[in-house]
Amino acid sequence: MTSIISARGLTKRYGRTVAVDHIDLDVPPGRIVGLIGPNGAGKTSALKAILGLATFDGELSVMGKDPSRERAALMEDVCFIADVAVLPRWIRVWQLIDITEQIHRGFSREKCLEYLTHTKITPDQKVKQLSKGMVAQLHLALVMSINARLLVLDEPTLGLDILYRKQFYTSLLNDYFDEQRTILITTHQVEEVEHILTDLIFIQDGKIALEASMDEVERRYVELMVRPEMAEKARGLKPMYERELFGRHIFLYDSTDREQLASLGEIHTPSVADLFVATMKGGQS
Amino acid sequence: MNRLLALIKREYWENKGALRTTPLVIGGIYIAFLLMSIFTTTHIDSDLYTFREAVRIMGEQSPEHRGMIMYQVMLGSSVLFTVVMSFVIFFYLLGSLYDDRKDRSILFWKSLPASDTLTIASKLITAMVVAPLTFFVVMILTHIIMSVIGSLMVLSADGNPWTLFISVSSPLKAWAMIATSWLAQSIWALPMYGWLLLVSAFAPRVPLLFATLPPLIFAILQTWIEFLRTFTLKNNIVGVIGNWMFNSPAILTAEVHEGHGEIALGVPLTKEFDHAVTLANILDRLFSLQMLAGLIIAAVFLTGALWLRHRATDN
Repeated sequence: MTSIISARGLTKRYGRTVAVDHIDLDVPPGRIVGLIGPNGAGKTSALKAILGLATFDGELSVMGKDPSRERAALMEDVCFIADVAVLPRWIRVWQLIDITEQIHRGFSREKCLEYLTHTKITPDQKVKQLSKGMVAQLHLALVMSINARLLVLDEPTLGLDILYRKQFYTSLLNDYFDEQRTILITTHQVEEVEHILTDLIFIQDGKIALEASMDEVERRYVELMVRPEMAEKARGLKPMYERELFGRHIFLYDSTDREQLASLGEIHTPSVADLFVATMKGGQS
Repeated sequence: MNRLLALIKREYWENKGALRTTPLVIGGIYIAFLLMSIFTTTHIDSDLYTFREAVRIMGEQSPEHRGMIMYQVMLGSSVLFTVVMSFVIFFYLLGSLYDDRKDRSILFWKSLPASDTLTIASKLITAMVVAPLTFFVVMILTHIIMSVIGSLMVLSADGNPWTLFISVSSPLKAWAMIATSWLAQSIWALPMYGWLLLVSAFAPRVPLLFATLPPLIFAILQTWIEFLRTFTLKNNIVGVIGNWMFNSPAILTAEVHEGHGEIALGVPLTKEFDHAVTLANILDRLFSLQMLAGLIIAAVFLTGALWLRHRATDN
């Protein structure tokens, strides 16, 4: 299976700071990958390199193309929403559709208009007259009407209210995603995307801290909740991370015997957010 | 090709105010002035006595002379369009690779499969062709409306507008001359257009300062150094730029010959080129050494703009 994105030693420097530090990465087709990391971890720098918006060192191939030299050709098969509300403010909705149709071979005007009928957006409106949520809806409608193989979303719902955010991911999953397509998402709102992801990549200080499929995560990681008197025993099994909640001790384990853990207390699969915190804190100590 | 057209359409939509409304306003000003002068005349002189006199005196002139006057009036009326258009193009180019970086919409434009070369080409074509075209169309409309108003006035003064000025004038010749001079001006101005695109792609903020300060500072330094030796205006960069502007193939000013003025190409201060409005004189400028140097400078600036645009994102 050929990778959609393949990176070897991908590095991005800004002067002396290293934003992305020798990353190796393979994203196969038909996946929804969450690229998750704290502020300044190098997520956006990595995405910009993948999209041909920045120079980089190392090897990077996106669908067999070098993004730094072949951005225009690459964009035939790649769509991205980099941040909310980057559509030009002066443009009218119909003009935006016209231009996209003429520049993008894979764009379907019918699909786009169909998506827009589910919103309050009308063709004659200017982007600056739309609310932030509507701009995100419009951009998503445009992008979903393009027959692309890779969709990159960089904080696509930042600053939107909960209704728009839910709707955004619902339409993405129901109307857009299939086995041929790959979606790469970065976001801070891990809780919202964790149910749609198939793969997780944690990035910290420009390095990959964790790369695993969600199935793997379920198999490997266990969260254990115990009463205080069992805490010492639980600590003896070398958890990655420990926290306290309402007088209970919660431990997170990587590849530890489930039956042994179950004998100490309640076990379940950790949420991506908890796993993220554990990985980031663990990586620091 | 389709993509280039789409990008040019984008430029037109984004700059509708500058490219369409501005020439309409100029045309409107011309027509308003004409109507105001008519109202003033009829208000002071309700019998149209002075106007009848003017029609009569004009009728006494030879048809050739009347034709000449009409030709000069038409060429002369293009000057305001030319000057305003130059400002419009100047500011359009200055913002063309800057504004979308500032409001971050570059992230949308770069998500489309249109190359940076195509993007810059669309901006250059808008400056060189689209802007002159819209100004030209509006100018022709203005000429037509003004001659209709003029004809009505002549009719009301019992004159015959057809014999008096319509049949003797050669509007096609005047329009062709103006169009040629504007297109020639587009090529002549390439080094400046290239510079403006370069600055627009580069400036972190206030592109106007980045466009005007370097030549100004350079000129001041040069003036100072030159001053220490022997100062000659022509070698000074402001002198060179000024000379380049004066030699423009656009119809800009009048030249005074033995007491009477005649519309001229550029500003007839130097004798380097002939300033009379003829096709040969316009072509003379385009096939000159100055033009060749200008094209080389333009190529350097445009390559720089493309290089910078390739690296540009929202920050």
